[in-house]
Amino acid sequence: MHEENIDPKDCSDASDITRREVLITLGVLCGAVGAGAAGWGFLEEIVALRQPVQSWHKSVCRFCGTGCGVLVGMKDGRVVDVRGDELAHNKGVICIKGSMLPELTHIPGRLTSPKIRKNGALVNASWDDAMGLVASKFSDAIRDYGPDSVAFYGSGQLFTEESYTANKLFKAGIRTNNVDGNPRLCMASAASGYVQTYGKDEPPGCYADADYADCFFLFGANPYECHPPIFERIRQRKRLHPETVIICVDPRRTMTAQHSDIHLPVVPGTDLLLLNSMANVICEEGLENQQFIQRYVRFNDGEKDCDFARFREFLKGYAPEKVEEELGVSARDIRRVAFLFARSEATMSLWTMGVNQRIQGTFLNNMLNSLHLITGQFGRPGATPFSLTGQPNACGGVRDTGALAHTLPNGRLVTNPEHREEMEKLWKVPAGTISPRVGFDAVSLFRAIEQGSVKAVLIMCTNPGTTLPSVARYQAAMEKCFTVVADAVEDSETQRHAQVVLPAALWIEKEGVTGQGERRYQLTEKLLDPPGLARSDLQILVDLADRLGHGSLITARSPDAVWDEWRNVSAGSFYNFQGITYARLKTQRGLQWPCPSTEHPGTARRFVEGEDPFVAKGAGIEFYGNHDKKAIVYLRPYVASPEKTSAEYPMYLTTGRILEQFHTGTLTDRIQELHDAAGPAKIQINPQDAFVLGIQDKDPVEVKSQYGTVRGEARLTDVSCRGVVFVSFYDSRLLINRVVADNYDPASKEPEFKVTAVSVRKVST
Amino acid sequence: MNVNYVQLVYFFGMLFCVMGILLCIRTARTRFGKLGDAPSVSFWITRLPAESAAKLIAFAALIVLPAGAIFTANYHTFEGVHEVSGCASCHAMLPMVNDLHDPNSGTLAARHYKNKWIAENQCYHCHSDYGFSGNVEAKLTGYRHLARYTTHTYTEPIAARVRFNNQNCLNCHHHTPKFEAVQSHHTAADRLASNQMICLNCHGQAHPTSLERTPGSAAYSRLTEAFR
Repeated sequence: MHEENIDPKDCSDASDITRREVLITLGVLCGAVGAGAAGWGFLEEIVALRQPVQSWHKSVCRFCGTGCGVLVGMKDGRVVDVRGDELAHNKGVICIKGSMLPELTHIPGRLTSPKIRKNGALVNASWDDAMGLVASKFSDAIRDYGPDSVAFYGSGQLFTEESYTANKLFKAGIRTNNVDGNPRLCMASAASGYVQTYGKDEPPGCYADADYADCFFLFGANPYECHPPIFERIRQRKRLHPETVIICVDPRRTMTAQHSDIHLPVVPGTDLLLLNSMANVICEEGLENQQFIQRYVRFNDGEKDCDFARFREFLKGYAPEKVEEELGVSARDIRRVAFLFARSEATMSLWTMGVNQRIQGTFLNNMLNSLHLITGQFGRPGATPFSLTGQPNACGGVRDTGALAHTLPNGRLVTNPEHREEMEKLWKVPAGTISPRVGFDAVSLFRAIEQGSVKAVLIMCTNPGTTLPSVARYQAAMEKCFTVVADAVEDSETQRHAQVVLPAALWIEKEGVTGQGERRYQLTEKLLDPPGLARSDLQILVDLADRLGHGSLITARSPDAVWDEWRNVSAGSFYNFQGITYARLKTQRGLQWPCPSTEHPGTARRFVEGEDPFVAKGAGIEFYGNHDKKAIVYLRPYVASPEKTSAEYPMYLTTGRILEQFHTGTLTDRIQELHDAAGPAKIQINPQDAFVLGIQDKDPVEVKSQYGTVRGEARLTDVSCRGVVFVSFYDSRLLINRVVADNYDPASKEPEFKVTAVSVRKVST
Repeated sequence: MNVNYVQLVYFFGMLFCVMGILLCIRTARTRFGKLGDAPSVSFWITRLPAESAAKLIAFAALIVLPAGAIFTANYHTFEGVHEVSGCASCHAMLPMVNDLHDPNSGTLAARHYKNKWIAENQCYHCHSDYGFSGNVEAKLTGYRHLARYTTHTYTEPIAARVRFNNQNCLNCHHHTPKFEAVQSHHTAADRLASNQMICLNCHGQAHPTSLERTPGSAAYSRLTEAFR
């Protein structure tokens, strides 16, 4: 464009800007800014309106012992979303069960009223009538037959405040040690193993060790299905460090085994042979860590101390070539795994029910810990023995509070006079109040009920009518006793035999602390009111204490008050978690004990200098639970299970969990998606076995042992190795525990759910 | 996207802006009432009355060039934000971008990038819903973010307020053998499809945690190093 012909005079007075022009310019500018701001504000409003969640609340998953941190999304007083909490130990990962937690808040079949059995049927009653009846029956039994004629059967799913209060009420109020529960069925062997080896219960390591391990030794555990966030963490380690080796020891080719580098399908019941044989290889091939052994380890043959030479001599009977046939694993694989275990930079063992639910469960736990001790795979990041636990509060609520028949709080024993005296002072009860007699463990309790020596039992938050071994026997026993069941849902197998049923609050309908598998205490805050007349288990226990005349003993009556009492009780022990206050738990994603002060960050690795406040400076590692501060490696001989296969019972039955169901399915099976995904429990058989037996997929079959018989649908799968039958225990319509052997570990008193000799045959219907 | 092409668009956009500003000034200084007697103006191959020429300039200054500038700017922005470097130009996004390039990171974003599961435009690939409504929503969200960013009315760590759309994951993963082999995907199929359950529940962190992205945290300085 050419502008040379424009008269410059035309715009000579352009600088004479009028007021009108200024105002117009400002107006346009204001309009533009206003329009932009209005658009922005409009968008902010739209975003706010579209939020499906009004507020997020830090909480803890209700289900397994992983104890995942979750964020609960609320809107209009309802739970509308649940997410993994990225700031919790699980780094935001939860599983399909945790993801379905919003549905848990409105599952069908909630108990909303107390019920009393009248003319064979449970009918609604008032709290006053129900608790009045319970109190009178308990009082009558105590008066007529003594305090040991009543019992409490608790759960690893109660809050810590509830288990602590029940323990105190029965042991220091009623004066009976008949306090036990379902943790006896799942982790008693782990607890006894730790106590025997380190002098103190609970794992020394933490979940974060999985971020550093180069070798994972998964022994009798199926974390892919039972602890999915932990297995995801293991897989994450493998993704970032592909040289990491995952070894899985399991009689079944589980999903965990399928995602492992090495799978050793041992014959059920023989795996102590593998551990002893690995120890043999380690000692014979010079793979042991003599420096660690000299400094931190003592050997014991079960009766007296011995030395490394004696241990090595003992192991000669377990040379790989001697055990491979009975074990079902080649000598070559045993040697390979022993080398990997011993010589990896950091080896982390993880085990659970395949080890604990065994007649040699304590011995297996001893040997797993021992492998770490003789190789020095201990106390470094990634190098640790670690027993996974099955329930959300078996560790914190039951093991730590001592809510078991033989224990008192913080690792004390009822048979130890000094321990009883300490607790009598802490509980402010007269000397001699606590009975020196060990109470009835889970199986012994129901046998005592069967024999008539226990007249009344309070069962809280669990379902022994499904979970006990040889369960038909104990279901019948419950009919002979005044059985009271407090539960969140109706129609459990146990309630069929109850005289009184009490409706209990569930998950975020009450407040309390849970302690998951790595000694981490986490707070679940109350976000909802329980339905109908349901109450928290703590309220039920406080009411019972008042009615039994022990109200003055149970002075702490709210969750925070009980917690304060409990953390102060811990102060004089090696559990010391006085620094874990409700105030801290409300803001932090749990804290690991020991944690003696409110400034202490918690202890990730126990017995390790610089982490554990009880370890002296310069000690390196100090096993302060034992008098010489050394851990004990035991010489543990393999003894074959009484459940050996025979011509009559030629196969092994093993039981366990599946991904979509928790425990006996009373909660998860009421969530439609999980119910549909799991379907009815199946009898899983190897196709080769099925071919020999003439069984096809979906055929009706019968599983029979010397203890009982069940019938169900066959599912042919090579997850079951030859000779192994698997049935999950979540489905009461296929009550597999009718068949399970009635044997238990003599040390831990934990039943052997994993090994039962059975026969399988096709039936017509 | 060819980077030179984007730069060319960028150049023309800037040219339009500069020309527009100059012509606006020129138009503002013009007194249209006094142009009636002014001589005609030579314009390309013809001559125009001065008043017509001034109106033409005004039209170009007020309509044509702003429209061209807006078009090229939007085109540049729309295309430019497809690229990771576009996201990295915003300080608040540096932790995500630096993590994306960290070969030692295990976040979903870093794993997708490191393994080249998404070949290019990695941020955009997961964070812009496809289809017209998805794009409009993304642009509106982007506008909100721009407003917040330029007015400094945000605090770190930033948090996504809108729910991440599972469809961004399912677009690639759905119906693959690996996806179908996982029972939980079938269990939660409806919830995943309707966005009631997020994929991250089982698959973990997509980006560094909010704690790592908080100023003063141990990881913050590493995560906010200038993107190279």
